[in-house]
Amino acid sequence: MRAELRAETADDTRAVGEALAGLLRPRDAVILTGELGAGKTTLVQGVARGLGVTEQVASPTFTLVREYRGRLEVAHVDVYRLEKIQDVMDLGLEELGGGEAVLLVEWGDAVEEVLPADHLTIELTHGDEDEVRRLAFTPGGRTWVERWDRVEEALAPWSGR
Amino acid sequence: MIVVGIDTSTPQTSVAIGSDLEVLASVSIAGRARQESVTPALQQLLEWSGVDLQRVGGVAVGIGPGLFTGLRVGVETAKTLAQVLGIPIVGITSLDALAFMVRYTSRRIAAVVDARRGEVFAAVYRAVPGGVVRETDHLVVKPDHLVAELQAVPGEVLCVGNGAILYRREIEELGSRVEFASASLAHPEAASLVELAAPRFLREEHDRLFDVVPMYIRKSDAEIAWDQRARGAQG
Repeated sequence: MRAELRAETADDTRAVGEALAGLLRPRDAVILTGELGAGKTTLVQGVARGLGVTEQVASPTFTLVREYRGRLEVAHVDVYRLEKIQDVMDLGLEELGGGEAVLLVEWGDAVEEVLPADHLTIELTHGDEDEVRRLAFTPGGRTWVERWDRVEEALAPWSGR
Repeated sequence: MIVVGIDTSTPQTSVAIGSDLEVLASVSIAGRARQESVTPALQQLLEWSGVDLQRVGGVAVGIGPGLFTGLRVGVETAKTLAQVLGIPIVGITSLDALAFMVRYTSRRIAAVVDARRGEVFAAVYRAVPGGVVRETDHLVVKPDHLVAELQAVPGEVLCVGNGAILYRREIEELGSRVEFASASLAHPEAASLVELAAPRFLREEHDRLFDVVPMYIRKSDAEIAWDQRARGAQG
């Protein structure tokens, strides 16, 4: 299972995030991979907007974790500056938002072993034009496989381009 | 010898003062983590019980496994107290404390603490004269794995802890050989830590200050394999 999308602009990438937001439940984990500038934070901005977060969503690279509250608790995490697996564990991710937060983890693929076993992976890459991004969604674990039909449906406007 | 007990390993914050003979004062606040209440609670208990801080001869602290945020504050507070007063410290795991609290049983004891995100910390004990003996490692497992673990435990089982209450329905699949301790025993009580630690202070079996750290079952010294980051920096 894998969904491949194309977003034309940064706003379009945000719209993808907003569409995904409708399917998120408490305690979900989403791993965002892709090099610097690939649009990970942009995508998170869309997810946050879709979850009704009104605050400005900025990159957590230097704060490691930013927490927001919308329809659900949201924790935006960036592990880019960490060196040890223990550093990630020390963030206490499983306790954020009273243990209910949706985790959106930038660079999370490098520390998958200490993230929830069930998670959605989104890989972002630069497309052929300046703002164009390719996004590949891969479900991990039962909770994502079970709702994969709905994920594909929600992402349909951007797929097959 | 007067001992101060502090436990913040679950959403309950618990502080107590006592000795090997009696509990002098204790307070437990549950609901959500209130680890910031540890110091004021201790001050209040000292005042109410008329115990001079200088008479305190040891600190017993809950080291988890449990909730990271609260645990860190409780352990640091206890260590600071031990260092400032120049007194010994003993760290006690949350599961050991819970099992000790229900030791008057012939059943095996399963201590289960909610680890959040659909997992629990758990260990199995059996009661012996004067205490409990742990028979398994400290585990971090999903409730269905815990049920499988308990399936292998012979005889009747008594489950204790907030994790057992939270996943009661799943654990009840084991049928009538499982019983649950009451909700008033759902969290490690600082008074029990005092009781557990007091004989160790008397026997001078305390821990070294720097060895007392929150217990992480998933502890890791591994470096993050950062080949992606190197790639990102190049690009």
